Amino acid sequence: MEYLIAILLPQLLHGVVFGAALGLLALGLTVIFGLLGVMNFAHGELYMFGAYAGIVVIGLTNSFWVALVAAPLLVAAVGAVTEVATLRPLYRREPLYGLIVTFGLALIFREGARQLFGGDMRRILPPIEGSIPLLGMTYPKYRLFLLAASSILLLAIWLFFTRTRAGIIVRAAVQDAEMLDGLGVNVPRVFTLTFAGSAALAALAGLLLAPVFTVYPQMGVEMILLAFIVVILGGMGSLGGSVVAAFVIGIAQSLLTLWMNPQRVAIAIFGIMIVVLIVRPRGFFGREGVLE
Amino acid sequence: MSNLLSWRGWLVFVALAALPLTPWMSKYYMLLAFDALLFGAVAMSLDLLMGYTGLVSFGHAAFFGLGAYATAVLLERGVFSLWLCLGLAAVVVGLYALTVSYFATGRRGIYFALLTLIFAEVVYTFFRYTQTFGGSDGIQGLPAFQVLPGVAIDAPARLYYLVVTYLLLAYLACRVIVRSHFGQVLVAIRENEDRARFLGYNVQRYKMGVCLISAVLTGLAGALYPGRAAYATPDLLHWSISGEFLIMVMIGGLGTLVGPIIGGAFFILLQEKVSSYVQWYNIVVGVVLVLIVLFVPRGLLGLRQALRGRPRGEAVG
Repeated sequence: MEYLIAILLPQLLHGVVFGAALGLLALGLTVIFGLLGVMNFAHGELYMFGAYAGIVVIGLTNSFWVALVAAPLLVAAVGAVTEVATLRPLYRREPLYGLIVTFGLALIFREGARQLFGGDMRRILPPIEGSIPLLGMTYPKYRLFLLAASSILLLAIWLFFTRTRAGIIVRAAVQDAEMLDGLGVNVPRVFTLTFAGSAALAALAGLLLAPVFTVYPQMGVEMILLAFIVVILGGMGSLGGSVVAAFVIGIAQSLLTLWMNPQRVAIAIFGIMIVVLIVRPRGFFGREGVLE
Repeated sequence: MSNLLSWRGWLVFVALAALPLTPWMSKYYMLLAFDALLFGAVAMSLDLLMGYTGLVSFGHAAFFGLGAYATAVLLERGVFSLWLCLGLAAVVVGLYALTVSYFATGRRGIYFALLTLIFAEVVYTFFRYTQTFGGSDGIQGLPAFQVLPGVAIDAPARLYYLVVTYLLLAYLACRVIVRSHFGQVLVAIRENEDRARFLGYNVQRYKMGVCLISAVLTGLAGALYPGRAAYATPDLLHWSISGEFLIMVMIGGLGTLVGPIIGGAFFILLQEKVSSYVQWYNIVVGVVLVLIVLFVPRGLLGLRQALRGRPRGEAVG
């Protein structure tokens, strides 16, 4: 019981918190994949940009809350420009070209950040300090805020996709962009705005996680692999699947660190993915036949 | 043999073989040429997969690195024979490639890229944290390997001739494969996988076959690398290296074999020259890659063919 409350429970909660933020990151990746057929290799760099944009805005305004609004908008603008300049010309070509382009973009963004901000680790101080008692343990307030914010965002995204006209258009574009075009919707604009939205989500995840982790130019590289695993596990192109898989991976990673050193955890996560793919090749919620 | 390599091809190899005789080939340039040709050979091996079969592998660094580690482990333990190093590399890389491709080839496009990437990351993590193989430092300070007992490949010129020989043999092997029935089926899979399947070809077996060949060729090149560098480190296995291989193929031109060799050599020379002037070398590489995909998707060689008016189908697919 002691062990449960002192060790297992906080670690479990850490996992849920991390999973929620990972869900934000993976969701953007899944939507873009569904839409353009492109696995965005630069998504991790947009996540990193979110944290650095946060540092810049906090430096200017001294407020985390302003940064929480401004940083995603800045990164969304970067995302929109990038999409129009590099991905739009590739719509009619094989998606694999898009994959390779985003790899190049990731290189440019990462090196750009290193040149602009330097290679050293930075920190953002949590805007909410202290801990509160919770279920017999004490838990940092900021992490609870992180969980609440991520959950609200995930809910909002779900509502967006199910209840709003714009969300339904995006889903229609995932299903059949050509048909949507035929119905008179400006499909390239849908693509660009969705890409910007996915960049904003990545930036939010980056900024929200920054007070828990550290900020450095390579930070996206580590996260993107995890996000890829989440997307594959959830089933390529399945929005709900990504969120579920994000929580599974977040909790698994968090709990496994109790018994293993970090590198074993990394291998164990890969192991989980491989086992899932053997048992259920399309992932948790992937549609049958899609990419199998 | 002669119809595999045009007279111009032979001329290029003769010129490459004569290169060390020229006065300006210092030790530095000899080793630079070694890298250029070695990575050219790797890019060519990747082209079998990317250009001919339409499968983009993001895990070729694992094949390269495993080959390098195979050599390093043997050299460290006092086995100096080049042939044993190559043999071990081929076996290890082959077994690993069969495992990866079994899982990865059942799926298409992006799935293949992601699965090869994640498997490679497992290998990277394993070597990075296993102290038997030196952990993050890798295996350093290796002696030279020997072709025959007592004949060590230690001088830059000998290394250079080794890599020229390897490139020639690997190129001929790739040409034979591409021209064979097997190679034709690969192109059929690239063009229309379903149709190839309906014609009765076991598509997965063909994909696994080409993965195996491409991986082993890459692994053999990897096995030669410690001969020049005297080390094998986990960095060789990192997925950013896989990305560099991909860039080499794109620069040179998909589905041409010769293009990627040029692309690999060009990439190494660019890296060497640009990185000696500026620190933000990766930006240059990234911009070159993006521009090539946007404006010259068929690469340097494809550009030449386009100018000559010989149309070619989209290579990836």
